[in-house]
Amino acid sequence: MSALHPDESTAQRLAAGALPPRGSPAPGTGDGTLIDTPGVRSPLVLNNRSFGEVTNIICGYTENPPGRWWLPVFGLTSTIAGIGTLMILYLIITGVGTWGLTNQVDWAWDITNFVFWIGIGHAGTLISAILCLFKQKWRTAVNRAAEAMTIFAVICAATYPGIHVGRAWMAWFMFPLPNANAIWPNFKSPLLWDLFAVSTYGTVSLLFWYMGMIPDLATLRDRADLRLRKFASGPVLSPLLPIRIDRIRAYAYGFLSLGWRFSSRHWHRYEAAYLMLAGMSTPLVLSVHSIVSTDFATAQLPGWHTTIFPPYFVAGAIFGGFAMVLLLLIPCRELYPNMKDFVTLRHLENMAKILLVTGMMVGFAYSMEFFIAWYGANKFEQDVFVYRATGPYWWAYWAMISCNVLSPQVFWIKALRQSPLVIFIVSVFITIGMWFERFVIIVSSLHRAWLPGEWHMFYPTLVDILIFVGTFGIFTTLFLLFLRVIPVFAMAELKAVMPQADPHGHHDDDHHHGHGEVHAPKGGH
Amino acid sequence: MTQVASDAAGGPGFARSPWAARFPAMRAENISLPAGAGGALSGGLVLVGLGASVATLVMPMIGEAFKWKHAIASFHVGAITALTMSLGALFFCMVFHLVNAGWSVTVRRQFENVASLVWVGLALVTVSVMLSVWKGGEGLWSWMGMERGENYLLDKKSAYLNTPFFLLRLAIYAVVWLMLAGLMNFFSRKGDAEGGTEAAARARLVSAPGMLAFALTVAFAGFDWLKSIDFGFFSTMWGVYFFAGSAFVSVATVTMILAFLRRSGRLEGVVTVEHFHDLGKLMFAFCVFWAYIAFFQYFLIWYANIPEETAYYIHRKQGGWENLTTLLMIGHFVVPFLILIQRGVKRNPTLLIAMAFWLIFMQVMDIFWMVRPAVYAGAPADAVPGATALPLDVLGILGPVALFFGLLIRKVVSSPLVPLHDPRMGEALTHKNYV
Repeated sequence: MSALHPDESTAQRLAAGALPPRGSPAPGTGDGTLIDTPGVRSPLVLNNRSFGEVTNIICGYTENPPGRWWLPVFGLTSTIAGIGTLMILYLIITGVGTWGLTNQVDWAWDITNFVFWIGIGHAGTLISAILCLFKQKWRTAVNRAAEAMTIFAVICAATYPGIHVGRAWMAWFMFPLPNANAIWPNFKSPLLWDLFAVSTYGTVSLLFWYMGMIPDLATLRDRADLRLRKFASGPVLSPLLPIRIDRIRAYAYGFLSLGWRFSSRHWHRYEAAYLMLAGMSTPLVLSVHSIVSTDFATAQLPGWHTTIFPPYFVAGAIFGGFAMVLLLLIPCRELYPNMKDFVTLRHLENMAKILLVTGMMVGFAYSMEFFIAWYGANKFEQDVFVYRATGPYWWAYWAMISCNVLSPQVFWIKALRQSPLVIFIVSVFITIGMWFERFVIIVSSLHRAWLPGEWHMFYPTLVDILIFVGTFGIFTTLFLLFLRVIPVFAMAELKAVMPQADPHGHHDDDHHHGHGEVHAPKGGH
Repeated sequence: MTQVASDAAGGPGFARSPWAARFPAMRAENISLPAGAGGALSGGLVLVGLGASVATLVMPMIGEAFKWKHAIASFHVGAITALTMSLGALFFCMVFHLVNAGWSVTVRRQFENVASLVWVGLALVTVSVMLSVWKGGEGLWSWMGMERGENYLLDKKSAYLNTPFFLLRLAIYAVVWLMLAGLMNFFSRKGDAEGGTEAAARARLVSAPGMLAFALTVAFAGFDWLKSIDFGFFSTMWGVYFFAGSAFVSVATVTMILAFLRRSGRLEGVVTVEHFHDLGKLMFAFCVFWAYIAFFQYFLIWYANIPEETAYYIHRKQGGWENLTTLLMIGHFVVPFLILIQRGVKRNPTLLIAMAFWLIFMQVMDIFWMVRPAVYAGAPADAVPGATALPLDVLGILGPVALFFGLLIRKVVSSPLVPLHDPRMGEALTHKNYV
């Protein structure tokens, strides 16, 4: 076996069932997962973790007190969330006149932020559904967090339709509910389809997330229960209310795990349901942002009416969503002990590649829009695009181009797409760029429509700004709570892609052992 | 060719494969066809193809009833169908390398074979382009015969829509595709000859920038060869629409080749029901993707109702063309959707052959729907030929497609049916779907 390529020997050592000493991986493979030889699959979990270790590490994130960073960060984000919520309250009391909308630009940050947040959510569903159908095993390390992020992003997005109707107490009119005045929503309006698309998406994503969580919640339940039986004392809620925290855990997780007992029949049902939900969620990844794009593309407004919008919005959503996943996971893997064993450099590199691909897809769409605006020979359409690039909002346009199209190009260089710091910085740029993309589409098309006498700029008010900042507070606060109470990784799925889970493992094809050839370890990418 | 021939006879390339020692299915006679297999069929198809193509292009010379524009249009439908098969296959070759796919190794050689015939599609399209350039206004692209000042829209677009630039673009697409298809095949054969992982790594390296070049060239080729026939029409989605059809038809073609190879007793244990299941999933996925793109392109234009855009669809919703439009909705999406969603169908190679034939026919119909209504657009009703022109349509489409399949059979026979040494072969041979 001495003739092995160094990459391959690293892979074998790291993924082998036997437990060789833990040393540093072969040079050039990062943490041992950046093996690039075709036919060699890099290990998905590092350091020869046993199943028990995996359970202890992941459950430990919720069972042990968090690091010292958690409370100050939580304080900060919840304060921001609070300010945002107060501003929403102020808006509801006062009216949408507190936004910077004008007669000309009568739809601005409200819809921009809505589309921005809905887009963020797409990475979660892509990872949990489409990558599941593609049998991409690396998804197991990121799907739980990405799905949680999806739910929280949908919550942030769903805030906007509720408040931007102006009279929030009439928001129920958005739903086609029978009422005394026989007023129905306009079924021909894409905004109504949006309501259906987003609520379907939110519901299915929540179900998918929750269903995937049931076995892990049962694990947490059993661990809490075990501690209750084993030890007479443990941390209590407060000295005045001496209820043991483990008792609360046992009841809460017990309730949520729906009587899961890890029986093979349960697993059988679980696998079937998971596949069906993956199949149902896959069209949702495409449908939601396609419908969102019809909010604009069905209009006749130059700059909005273009047929490539549906797939272009979907690509952009996945692009922005993956950037957000990376923004959340890269700090987490630094802050939590042993998390680098699960979220390896290969995971980050894979996601960086997805950023590069989807970034170029939106770049393709930008160039098609420009080309067809010229080719279509419509004066108004052409001018909107010229104004975008050279008009008063030129800075927004070029911010979009440089963040979304140019910044991901650094990922062509291997060293840069393998560096967490670089990926983090580019993800920040992409998040900014994707917000600007929506801003450019919405405001730059509206601010100079048909008659020059109606040309106006849009200036956001403090309420606009603080509500948007507030949604970031809501989003991060929810994510921090998620880190405290729910296993960050899908433990059951993660274990299924470890070498120990392979019943054939290193015994398959016994007859060819000893031929001195490469025996690629099982694993994902 | 000599190297390939010796391989096909069970030569040294097979013996050196490490997989042959580990997997009995990799024995030479299972993964190759004897030289000259399918020769009669191939020769027949090539003859039929050439004959039908020549007949199509001769008919306008002999009969007044047959218009040049009509003959070129029919031929163009067949030519574009052949081209899209190769383009879609080229896309899959590059994707398989880019994502380091394991399962697809045993089916990849057939994608490479189809992709390598991109020269056939290109040559056929060049014929219809050159004939149109020669015939000017009588050709397929009516703008080729128009003067400046004749049409406002054309004047605005003339920086793009002019014959020299049109031909230059054809040359650029040809260079890019021939190079990419050539490299994919070159690295695959290199792997056959040398073994090791080097060739696969190189192919991946080429695929990344290759995909970028592919996306741009395919989009603009779609604009040039299909959309600009009706130069007033424009749609940003068109490139994606063209791509969706290409990917869709190439999976059907490759599935058909593999199913026939299995019927001829080859690839047993190499391309298993699991691979057919996955190919069936790809067919299903691209069937839905095509419908998604086609629907939204139509829907957004219908909803906004802007005359420059709706003219294209209105023309295809009257004068009998509405039947074809309905056929596409049902035959290209609803029926295959309901059939291919079933697990049992995807795991049944015989049914997949039937589906593949149907889907290739649907791709022909889709291209026909794009090209053919433009021929008599704006002509008075009595100038539109009825059934008398039917031979022109049938022969025009049959010619290029038969020629393509005839050459494809020769190509499939000429090399081992799988990449012999691919480092991921073990994964492909033991591939299981489980669910």
